[in-house]
Amino acid sequence: MPSRSVLSSSVGTKLLIALTGIALVLYLILHLAGNLLVFFGPESFNGYSHFLLSNPLIIPIEIGLAAIFVLHIFKTVQMYIDNRRARPNSYEMKRMAGHTSRKTIASTTMIWTGLITLAFVVIHLKQFKFGELYEVGETGVRDLYRLERELFGNPVTVALYVVAMLLIGFHLRHGISSSLQSLGVDDPSRTRRFLTFGTILAVVIAGGLGVIPVVVYLTR
Amino acid sequence: MTLDSKTPSGPLADKWDRHRFEMKLVNPANRRKFTIIVVGTGLAGASAASSLGELGYQVLSFCIHDSARRAHSIAAQGGINAAKNYQNDGDSIQRLFYDTIKGGDYRARESNVYRLAQLSVNIIDQCVAQGVPFAREYGGLLDNRSFGGAQVSRTFYARGQTGQQLLLGAYQSMMRQVERGTVRMFPNREMLDLVVVNGQARGIVVRNLVTGELERHAGHAVLLCTGGYGTAYYLSTNAVNSNVTAAWRAHKRGALFANPCFTQIHPTCIPVSGEHQSKLTLMSESLRNDGRVWVPNNPQDKRPPQDIPEQDRDYYLERRYPSFGNLVPRDVASRAAKGVCDEGRGVGDSGLAVYLDFTDAIARLGRDVIASKYGNLFDMYRKITAEDPYEVPMRIYPAVHYTMGGLWVDYNLMSNVPGLHVLGEANFSDHGANRLGASALMQGLADGYFVIPYTLAHYLGSSSLPPVTADHDAFREAAQATQQRIDTLLKVKGRKTPRALHRELGRLLWDGVGMARNAAGLKAALTRIPQLREEFWQNVSVPGERNNLNKTLEYAGRVADYLEFAELLALDALQREESCGGHFREEHQTPDNEALRDDERFSYVAAWEFAGVGKPPVLHKEPLAFEYVKPSQRSYK
Amino acid sequence: MRIHLRVWRQAGPKTEGRLVDYTAEHVSPDMSFLEMLDVVNEGLIAKGEDPIAFDSDCREGICGACGVMINGVAHGPDPATTTCQLHMRRFKDGDTLTIEPWRARAFPVIKDLVVDRSALDRIVQAGGYTSVNVGGAPDGNAILVPKPVAEQAMDSAACIGCGACVAACKNASAALFAAAKIRHLGLLPQGQIERRTRVVEMVDRHDAEGFGSCSNEGECEAVCPKEISLANIAMMNREYLRAKLFSR
Ligand SMILES: Cc1cc2nc3c(=O)[nH]c(=O)nc-3n(C[C@H](O)[C@H](O)[C@H](O)COP(=O)(O)OP(=O)(O)OC[C@H]3O[C@@H](n4cnc5c(N)ncnc54)[C@H](O)[C@@H]3O)c2cc1C
Ligand code: HEM
Ligand code: HEM
Ligand code: SF4
Ligand code: F3S
Ligand code: FES
Repeated sequence: MPSRSVLSSSVGTKLLIALTGIALVLYLILHLAGNLLVFFGPESFNGYSHFLLSNPLIIPIEIGLAAIFVLHIFKTVQMYIDNRRARPNSYEMKRMAGHTSRKTIASTTMIWTGLITLAFVVIHLKQFKFGELYEVGETGVRDLYRLERELFGNPVTVALYVVAMLLIGFHLRHGISSSLQSLGVDDPSRTRRFLTFGTILAVVIAGGLGVIPVVVYLTR
Repeated sequence: MTLDSKTPSGPLADKWDRHRFEMKLVNPANRRKFTIIVVGTGLAGASAASSLGELGYQVLSFCIHDSARRAHSIAAQGGINAAKNYQNDGDSIQRLFYDTIKGGDYRARESNVYRLAQLSVNIIDQCVAQGVPFAREYGGLLDNRSFGGAQVSRTFYARGQTGQQLLLGAYQSMMRQVERGTVRMFPNREMLDLVVVNGQARGIVVRNLVTGELERHAGHAVLLCTGGYGTAYYLSTNAVNSNVTAAWRAHKRGALFANPCFTQIHPTCIPVSGEHQSKLTLMSESLRNDGRVWVPNNPQDKRPPQDIPEQDRDYYLERRYPSFGNLVPRDVASRAAKGVCDEGRGVGDSGLAVYLDFTDAIARLGRDVIASKYGNLFDMYRKITAEDPYEVPMRIYPAVHYTMGGLWVDYNLMSNVPGLHVLGEANFSDHGANRLGASALMQGLADGYFVIPYTLAHYLGSSSLPPVTADHDAFREAAQATQQRIDTLLKVKGRKTPRALHRELGRLLWDGVGMARNAAGLKAALTRIPQLREEFWQNVSVPGERNNLNKTLEYAGRVADYLEFAELLALDALQREESCGGHFREEHQTPDNEALRDDERFSYVAAWEFAGVGKPPVLHKEPLAFEYVKPSQRSYK
Repeated sequence: MRIHLRVWRQAGPKTEGRLVDYTAEHVSPDMSFLEMLDVVNEGLIAKGEDPIAFDSDCREGICGACGVMINGVAHGPDPATTTCQLHMRRFKDGDTLTIEPWRARAFPVIKDLVVDRSALDRIVQAGGYTSVNVGGAPDGNAILVPKPVAEQAMDSAACIGCGACVAACKNASAALFAAAKIRHLGLLPQGQIERRTRVVEMVDRHDAEGFGSCSNEGECEAVCPKEISLANIAMMNREYLRAKLFSR
């Protein structure tokens, strides 16, 4: 039997999902850091985004990010379908085993939290990246600060973001520690720590991002 | 019929070497022209199939399980012996040979046992190379323990799962051959007949247990590796699907059955808890290294064990066998337990149990040490009984464990039917009247890895084997007879379940042909067994169909064979008017109730020839000569 | 005790199955779960009805033959316990137990609670061994193995091939089973020579048999009667990556 490609075997697929997943997590950390600058006033925030947008590397980075995102989605959706096929008849009764199991609501809903993230990102890009182009005076610097304050002045948008962040938090709650296990860095002596680390990071990212719209709304 | 053991001449230590040189070989290019049927995938069968596959024969491998890895060998706990002398404590091939002959109470062939001791060292090497995770010392060397009362540490082990690890090693090697195409696996197949063509074993009839189809398979030789018949007793430490069927059907086709009455009762098993009980669980013998066996002095003493003071306890093994104490051999320990229970001093609800107490060991060594040595056994005990052996003494009782008897084979492991070879527990060869702990695994692997590749080649190289296909009349006849038997079973439509009948047979055998036997009891059993057999064929209920998975049908067939076999078992025990090893005749004991052999009259192998169901079988005797070890009275005082 | 049972009955691989109700009377707490089923079957056989088919052999938790879903959990509620080792004292009088076979594409139902697990054998067949013929092995002590390594290898080698991991996994993945063998041999010096090909071949066969992939839920570990840990899967993934990156 010809050995299948590293990208398509069950283990190879998981390695790829984990690597793309981690890349996306890293992006979110940077994104969080950058977005928190909104609390330091328009100058810092707009300066930061201008620095990013005017950087000649931004296009290749965005393309790379998009590719990773697409790859992550493609692989996870494909895997989800394969995994469903691996059990054509479901159980009449199935319960969680408890004990050492890591199964959680988060782990069973990865595909749904993922797809909702996808939907969120589409809306999100439309609102921000492709949203209203305000300028700070005549400087050519885009006034994202204003855009953000406007958008998050709407309680519906705020609610949407908060809910989305909650679900992304769930995705990461399982995703972060899972990716470490997928890549094989997990080991019984470290498992507890990995699981805690995953949860904390998930809370920090989702919480951090989720706080932004709320605070912006309240300080309107 | 004269039984020729084909033992090579020459000094004991050179026999095997010389024999290997004298035997015929099969040219490597010709090997794939030979089809070898291997029935059973336990240690014996899997090791034989893999080594024959490696040599290039076409092997067909059969087992009743859904996977070869589930053979009963998987359950062996304690370990495997080998005369490596890694511990520098005085072991040698000669000593292992001597211990095995003596342990078997001088009822085994010297030549076979010596070869077994010689090959034991190669087994360990092979298994290590396969990746069997044997226990290690801190320096990375193999660890050994002393087992079953041996005075040297020669037992290799992998936690309490030695059989599992050895079997997985053999199974994996076999699966490698399956991948290479030399071995073809036939799981879920039960052998129901042996096909003999022109006096040679040329094939088998098996039932496909999933589809119910009867299949015929032809080959140039048949290797039976189907394990022991301990489940004749219904309750035993053997797996519930263990059976005598394959061996019995071969017996009915002419193979002699040797020493069926040599059965081993293991002293440390978890006692029976009720009628529903389906099998007994062995607690490794190693427990006797630290546990003390006792019962109350007074039969009326029904206090909980912790409340019984020292002076009211009888540590009967230590009392009666001061030098070996709790470590006396299995047969001695088992009978002693039966003795105290017969006196009414047994403990527990049934009164059929004795205490195995770790209180002293825990006080002396600490709970942690005991836990590290026996933790998994204690857990197992707790799972089954819901009692904590760290706090309350274990309750143990003897149970049927191993069968030394089996199909008669010569030095080449071939039965009297040319081409039919028998390996592992299914043959009678190496353990005499009593098997020492950790020797069965050794025998199974020696047979399969190191004996059969040579002796089978010799048979193939020196016999004329005309082509035979599965369309031959003999196959058709065998398949028809098998079909008929199955149909009859389904037609009875009685009211008793096969299990109920099996349970009755078991109780009957346990009472009449159990730990202690006497002429009256054996004769009673011999009248009862045919009646029960009669009842079986009149009143068994086997629902379902023949052409799909039907576990009741499988089971009923096995019970039917046990009902025929049981008679031989009792007859053999009646005929052997002496006590030796696991066979204890109450009429023949020393004043201190020890087994009393009669070497004058009974230094032989009793090999029985089938004469028809219910007809008296014909006894053939293979005399045993002891040139290198002088038989002596075993004493463990 | 009296126990109500809802048991999956399916006459053959191609027929439809359904849950059928039974009542087990006079159940003793000392009975094992399978003995309780034995008793139910005795009743059915005596009435001439086809009993419930299930696999078992050793009845002491080592052969891996037994295994059913009990109230939605593979091998039932006790940790580190096979179905045959589960005792009825675990349940209460009047309890209802739903009993189903392992379900997976790679484990087709043969009858009632019996499934075909030969796919696991074929995973081993693909490479779960060391390729050493009988005859040429060096002395056992020529290969030194540090005690902790031998112990860890033994932890993995303890797998009994029951398939509960597949049954419990939402993806019907046999990752834990395959990984246990890969780790057992991958840790030992004897297994080094074929270390890279082994993992690739076994993973490929695992996929070809129709098992799913691992989402790291750890249900398998939680139901595994031999407590094979997820570290095995982590090691398998590592080994796979290594094999793919550094071989060829
Ligand atoms: C609980 C327990 C613990 C033990 N511990 C030890 C120990 O520590 N050390 C030791 O040396 N020995 C021990 N023994 C004994 C030892 O395990 C067995 O004697 C040995 O494993 C038998 O191996 P085998 O290959 O001959 O047969 P088995 O392993 O019994 O294999 C029989 C094979 O034959 C197949 N088969 C059976 N009937 C048929 C049929 N009709 N048609 C087709 N196939 C059939 C089965 O599927 C199976 O594959 C122990 C035994 C028990 C019960
Ligand atoms: C910023 C966005 C995202 C991040 C940070 C992210 C992160 C991760 C991480 C770290 C994992 C764990 C990988 C592993 O188990 O090895 C993962 C798994 C997963 N992701 Fe995402 N993901 C994102 C978006 C998405 C999207 C849009 C989908 C949509 C389909 C998705 C679907 C999944 C699924 C189904 C899994 C589970 C894989 C499995 O079962 O093993 N993810 N994700
Ligand atoms: C409440 C939380 C969030 C806030 C306040 C926020 C804010 C912003 C802002 C202001 C931008 C515009 C930057 C620009 O166009 O240069 C942006 C872009 C973007 N955001 Fe977010 N974001 C949030 C959450 C997320 C999440 C969860 C994701 C991904 C899953 C995400 C993915 C992106 C992407 C991909 C871009 C485009 C980046 C680029 O153009 O390079 N954002 N976000
Ligand atoms: S890993 Fe555990 S659950 Fe899976 S087959 Fe092995 S023993 Fe059974
Ligand atoms: S339950 Fe399944 S998802 Fe992975 S960790 Fe176990 S194989
Ligand atoms: S019957 Fe052997 S593990 Fe349960």
